[in-house]
Formats: sequence, structure tokens, C-alpha cells
Amino acid sequence: MRLGFIGCGVMGRPMALHLLRGGHRLAVWARREDAMQPWLAAGAVACTSPARVAREAEVVFTVVTADADVKEVVFAPGGLAEGFAAGAILVDMSTIAPQNARSIAGRLAAQGVELLDAPVSGGGQGAIAASLAIMVGGRAAALERVRPLLELLGSTIVHVGDHGAGQVAKACNQMLMVATVEAVAEALHLSRVAGVDPERVRQALAGGSAGSRVLEVMGGRMVARDFAAGVEARLHHKDYAVLIAEAHRLGLPLPVSAQVCQQLNALMALGWGRCDTASLLRVLEAGQPGTGGN
Amino acid sequence: MRIGFIGLGIMGRPMALNLLRGGHQLTVWARRPESMQPLLDAGASGAASPAALAEQAELVISMVADAPDVEQVMLGENGVASGGQSGLVAVDMSTIRPSAARSIAGRLLAGGIDFLDAPVSGGEVGAVAGTLSIMAGGSTAAFETAQPAFACIGRNIVHVGDSGAGQVAKAANQIVTGVGVLTVAEALNFAARSGVDPARVREALLGGFASSRILENHGQRMLDRNFKPGFKSWMHQKDMNIVMQSAHELGLCLPLAAATAQMFNAMVGSGLGEEDSIAILKLLERLSGGEG
Repeated sequence: MRLGFIGCGVMGRPMALHLLRGGHRLAVWARREDAMQPWLAAGAVACTSPARVAREAEVVFTVVTADADVKEVVFAPGGLAEGFAAGAILVDMSTIAPQNARSIAGRLAAQGVELLDAPVSGGGQGAIAASLAIMVGGRAAALERVRPLLELLGSTIVHVGDHGAGQVAKACNQMLMVATVEAVAEALHLSRVAGVDPERVRQALAGGSAGSRVLEVMGGRMVARDFAAGVEARLHHKDYAVLIAEAHRLGLPLPVSAQVCQQLNALMALGWGRCDTASLLRVLEAGQPGTGGN
Repeated sequence: MRIGFIGLGIMGRPMALNLLRGGHQLTVWARRPESMQPLLDAGASGAASPAALAEQAELVISMVADAPDVEQVMLGENGVASGGQSGLVAVDMSTIRPSAARSIAGRLLAGGIDFLDAPVSGGEVGAVAGTLSIMAGGSTAAFETAQPAFACIGRNIVHVGDSGAGQVAKAANQIVTGVGVLTVAEALNFAARSGVDPARVREALLGGFASSRILENHGQRMLDRNFKPGFKSWMHQKDMNIVMQSAHELGLCLPLAAATAQMFNAMVGSGLGEEDSIAILKLLERLSGGEG
């Protein structure tokens, strides 16, 4: 199949390579030419604009950082929208606000192009292992056309609902995950300050009802004091703005999420935005000098 | 002074009337022409657009709902910027995000228009009585120019600092009043549910360190179960959203404001948006298994 791919960050780079290995033709574009090098070496074709990528492809994937980036890649001069033929599908795997996904879908539908919002969970590791969880919003027929492609990228593919539904699921994913990171950080902080070995506590908890992936992975990082990212905390901070804005738009109380967002704000202020979100532990310690690890 | 006034809602209308009473020559514009009528009857002239209004004015004042509305009347098609002469002073008295105010100020300055953000506190009562608190951000020269107008509509008029500073002060005001209303409601609900007369508790507290204007005024209205606005909950919800967006932009930890914002979300979502913000008491009562 003729595919297009835009976004060569931690997630996009390995994902595009999986599509190439799946035997598909891949047209690519990136702002910085050198960033495309690993793809070109694997057989991808470089284009000079997103519009040209769209002209070359039946299905285009985008994996960029924020709402503004998606809008720019699609609608700016030389953007994908200029190059799309009717019947094309855009699979946006970035994490953006559900409302923006819906509005982009509406604008593209006017030119006969289908949008699927298909954000992912699983991080850089999941992208490399092609074991991502993919949550899809949009029309079922469009999903069925690209399902074999998504199967090259992830192991769980769920059609959540109509346009924006994938982004709603992703917002819920971030809500649960980061709130759990905060809870694990508080538990391990309590253990340490109470004079108990946090690693032993972590091991004890892992076998019971409080056991979770976050306790295992992020808890492990906290105990090891390994705060190198993982997923950079600034991205979770960005996702929480989406969550809090949705709560406001819908007139919905999210008391715990609102508190977690404040801890993320503090994390940013303390300069750990490019570190792992396990740094929420360090935010707790910063409020209590002398209680930290080192 | 030749003043142009944009936005004639609950707050704008009485403010504009007070400017007329102060002897200023007033031109008005509103999105809905019928809201201009009371002002025309009182002696103001009407303009066809914000641009036309700005052409004739030394000072333009806007009192609208939110940042996109301010952008529209100031910088949109037929906006103040397209009619105003260089040297014009434009004052926005709406409550918007400080970063939005700064951005609007920068773009207006490119056309030689000096912008003040000057949000107010005091509600409809203060607007009618001409006793609003005005918190202004912008240049000293613009503040001096606007002074004769401010004197007609406000009592406590403070030049807080540079562009955006007025909105920062207003956001801080909304943190204190939002969290304050919630804590007074919690205290009175706590007393009532503990089987103690909340009116007596209020009276006792007024003599000590927990005494405040909110305990005095809002507390009394809670006891009277008078939920008529006043200041509508959905407006406080909007203002708390401004606070939380600014905290996110700045990397600021505001745990109490965050909790309060969620309570206001719940009020709007559960149909209390049009009631006064003291109806937060009803929400607490519902969450405590009461009637609310």
C-alpha cells in the first residue's frame, strides 16, 4: 500500500520502520531533513512538504507533539489537506484534545478525507516492540481499511467510538496512569520517611491488590532513583491541560486529576519537565527538605 | 471627555450610565442593537461598529464576556484597531487570561493604541453604585488618561503594574473569593450537620481570626438560602479556569484553587450555573447525603 508518515520522534521513528518492514511504500517528511535519515536508509522516500506526502499516499500517519502541530501539518500552506485526494485516510496517532480531533475530522470530511484519531499507549518501548495499545475514534469502515497497518504497530486495537472517542480514551488512560504514579510516589515517600525500606514495601505491595504496572515500572525507577525519561513528564503535563479543559467544558468535577495536575505544575517549575514522570516523587521531597533520597 | 463604550450587559450598562452622569460625551456599541437603547435614551450616541466608535473617541472601554470577544472588538474586522487614531487609549474591563491581555496589548501597540487591562470587582451592585474596585495594568500615561472615566465607575482604583498586571490581580481576587466561598460553605455545612446552629457559629467566628467579608456577606446569604445572583456560578467557573490555565502556563502549584475549580465544574454540570456562587453550599449538602 502507498503510505505516508510524518513525525520522527521517539514514537514515530520505530513505528514508521515497522510499516516499511511490513512491505509498504512509505513517503515521509520532516522539518529537519537529517531526522529522516534512518527511514531513508530503510527505503522510505523523502518529500519536500506534507502536501507532497499526501499526494503520494492512500493512508497518512501523523505522530506529532501537540494540537497546534497536528493543525499545522494538516492545514498550513503546503499541508496534508492540500495534497489529499478524496478517499484518503489520515490516521493521527498524536495525543490531542477530543474537540480538536472532531473539528479536524469535520474539515477533512468536507474534502472526502476520513480522519481516525488513534492515540497510543505503551511508550517508546511499546513502539519499538510493536506492542502499543491503540485507541481509535472514527468510522468503522475507515478503521477496517487500516486495521492491517495498525496491527504492524500494536497488539491491542480498540474501536472506541466516533470521532474524538480515541482521544477521550487516551485522556482517561493518562488520568489513570499519572494519578497512579502520584499514588505510588506518595506511598514510597511515606515508607521512606517512616523509616521503612521503600523497595521492600514495593515488593510486598506488588503481590496484592495494589499491584500494578505503574508500581512495578515507575515504582522501580523511583526506588532506583532513575529519573531519566521514559516518557518526558512535560508531555503528561500537556495531557493534563487537555483533561482539565474537558472537565471545564463538560461541567465535570475531577478532584483527584486537578490535584495531580498541580503536582505536575510543581514538577515543571522545579525543572524536571524532560525527566521521567517518576519525578513526582522528587516533588514530594522538595516540599520537605531533608527527606529525599539523594 | 469623548468616550466610546463597548458591551452593555449586566455590568456594562450601569457603568456606561455612570459615565454619562459624570458628564462625559458617550458613544456606545453592542452586538445586540436593542441593548443600546437604554443608553441612547439617556443621551449617548450609537455607533455602527467598534471601528466607527473608536474614530470619534479619546478613550475606548470594553466590557464583554471573554478573551475571544475582546480580540474580536479590539482587533477583529471593523474593530477598534481599524478605526482608532494613534494615541488612542483602549481599556478592557472584562476578566480574561493575563497572557491574552498581554498579547492584545502588544498587537494594539503596533497601531499606536495604548491598552490597559482594568478588570473590576464588586459585581452588579458595585457597577450600579459606581463603587467598583478597578485593578489596572499598563502604562502610567494610559492610566492617567483613563482616570476621569475610572473615577465615575469605581472607588478603589489601583494601578497594579505593567500590561497584564490588572488581570493577574483579578485572578488572585478570584482565588481568594472562590476558595473563600467554598470554605465558608464547608464550615457552615459542617456546623449544621454536627447539629449546631450555623447562624450562631457564623456569629461566633466573626469575632475572631476566621472573620472575613465573605463569612459576613456570603455566609449570611447562605443562612438565608438566598441563591439569587449576585455573581453567577458559571462566571466564577470561567474565572477559575483562567486561574488554572495561568497556573499551567507558569508551572504553579495551586492545590486549593484546583479543588475549588472542580467544585465549580460540578455546579455548572449539575444545573447550578445560573445561581449565585454561594450555591456551592447546595453541592456540599448533596455530597454529604443531604437534600441540597
